[in-house]
Amino acid sequence: MANSTNIAPLSPGQLAFRRALRHGGFWTGGLIILVIVLAAIFAPLLTPYDPALQDLTQRYIPPVWSEKGTWDHILGTDNLGRDYFARVLYGTRISLGIGLLTLLISGTIGVSLGIAAGYWGGWPDLVINFLITIRLTLPVVLVALVVVALIGNSLTLLVLVIGLLLWDRFAIVVRSATQQVASREYITSARAIGSSTPRILFREILPNITGPLIVVASIEIAHAILLEAALSFLGLGVQPPQVSWGLMVAEAKSQLMFRPWMIAIPGAALVLLIFAINLVGDTVRDVTTPEGKA
Amino acid sequence: MAAFITKRLALTVLVIIVTSIVAFMLVHLSGDPAAAMAGEGATDADIAAVRETYGFNRPLYAQYLDWVAKLLQGDFGRSYYLRMDVGDVLAEHMPITATLGALALGFALLLSVPLGVFAALWPNTMIDRFSLWLAVAGQALPSFLFALGLMYLFGVYLRWLPISGTGSWQNYIMPAIALGYYATPAIMRLTRSGMMDVLQSDHVRTARAYGLSPWRVIIKHSLRHAIIPVVSLAAVQLGFMLGGSIVIETIFSLKGIGYLAWESIQRADIEIIQAILLVIATAYALLTLVADLLNAALDPRIRVS
Repeated sequence: MANSTNIAPLSPGQLAFRRALRHGGFWTGGLIILVIVLAAIFAPLLTPYDPALQDLTQRYIPPVWSEKGTWDHILGTDNLGRDYFARVLYGTRISLGIGLLTLLISGTIGVSLGIAAGYWGGWPDLVINFLITIRLTLPVVLVALVVVALIGNSLTLLVLVIGLLLWDRFAIVVRSATQQVASREYITSARAIGSSTPRILFREILPNITGPLIVVASIEIAHAILLEAALSFLGLGVQPPQVSWGLMVAEAKSQLMFRPWMIAIPGAALVLLIFAINLVGDTVRDVTTPEGKA
Repeated sequence: MAAFITKRLALTVLVIIVTSIVAFMLVHLSGDPAAAMAGEGATDADIAAVRETYGFNRPLYAQYLDWVAKLLQGDFGRSYYLRMDVGDVLAEHMPITATLGALALGFALLLSVPLGVFAALWPNTMIDRFSLWLAVAGQALPSFLFALGLMYLFGVYLRWLPISGTGSWQNYIMPAIALGYYATPAIMRLTRSGMMDVLQSDHVRTARAYGLSPWRVIIKHSLRHAIIPVVSLAAVQLGFMLGGSIVIETIFSLKGIGYLAWESIQRADIEIIQAILLVIATAYALLTLVADLLNAALDPRIRVS
């Protein structure tokens, strides 16, 4: 320790944060996410174009790095003459929005069920385990497609469906983390001094399982974003005039032979975002598990 | 063991019953099937007639029980759009998805088991890093993009393989790779950790001390022990693949169950949709049953608890 005069020990959270700052993956992933979040917020300032505005005189302009490219449309234009850069920029809003909103739903359901199953055990555990089994038995993409197709398409429904489908990993991980924490002495003593059950659950257990919780959250945000892209790609997710990277790939699919860049650009944006989220998630796992405390 | 098997079988039956209810409810509560079947320009009288003909005006539980009673006799219902028995339609598409699933799993095992073994033999070397990188890259790449990338490389650029269709064996290669790739990280990691445990065990040290050839020790005395959990994981992964086949089959126009599901969803052909939901969920439940029984046979601790 460089600072030996520092007597107060660091909390586990502070220690983990210090380790994260020394982690290359944390900086790389965090920086990419920061740039994408800023792009989503400031999209209207970054491009003069409306992502849905069609201009049939400006169709299929290639990106600026190809010979016929122009600086007016850095990433070119699509089959309806819409500016590709603007579409990619506004697409970040859908991806991030879906990722965060579905996380609220799936996280709430999964964490509640997981804590209940892990803390009480017995029949609540049996019932919740059965619910998890049922959820895993239902094929996610198929169920989402069926519901969206039959009820009718809207962003609200899309968020609801994805959120209601992706809670299983939260429940599984939180359940086993809670089981481990619940047998610790500080929980027994909290009970002994007469703490109420909600207090034990929210003040003693929840803060002590944040490590695995953040890891699962990163996995599920990525999962939700990928699922939205896949649904939009199949034509049953985000609908025009809204913009989504999955939808852009779907619209460009017929151009695979002649203009593969039309698929590569939204595809690269999607891969970059997911990669960055995974990097940050991996860092959190590294710094919060005992193996990573070197 | 007998008690464990009985309990596990009962659970599987219960899971299949509950998923059949969920599949039925999903299809019948998500909008009005009669309105969807009657089409866009239909009058109220038309919709009422459809409702009468197909029995949608009866209470839901009666419709469900009717569906199950017919299912138990092997009758999956009738597709209003194709005007065929759903059982016949499924029988036509099922072999294609089964072939695709088997090939995808075969590809996943061929790629991930050797990589896992090598990674365990030489940890923290290039090959270990490469297999880790492959897993990280796979997690970030959505399956539809990977499929389109394969299409561009082998179909458009190299012109080695057909881009879409169901006709020949060549149509299965790219879909199998695209589907199987996503099972590789998990299988590889399990092979690696299993092999690392076995390689440090006493019997492997003894086998080495006897002077058996290194590869004989690796394959006969180590891999044989490490592979059983891998087989059970592979069963679960196959179940996931059946669910994931909808994206891959749609992209490559490979006319299996997944493609049929996508088509039927567009046509609101609910009899086919609910049958496919049930078939895929049942297949997954049975595959996880196989996986659990395999694990229990291997590890007595699972049977007892």
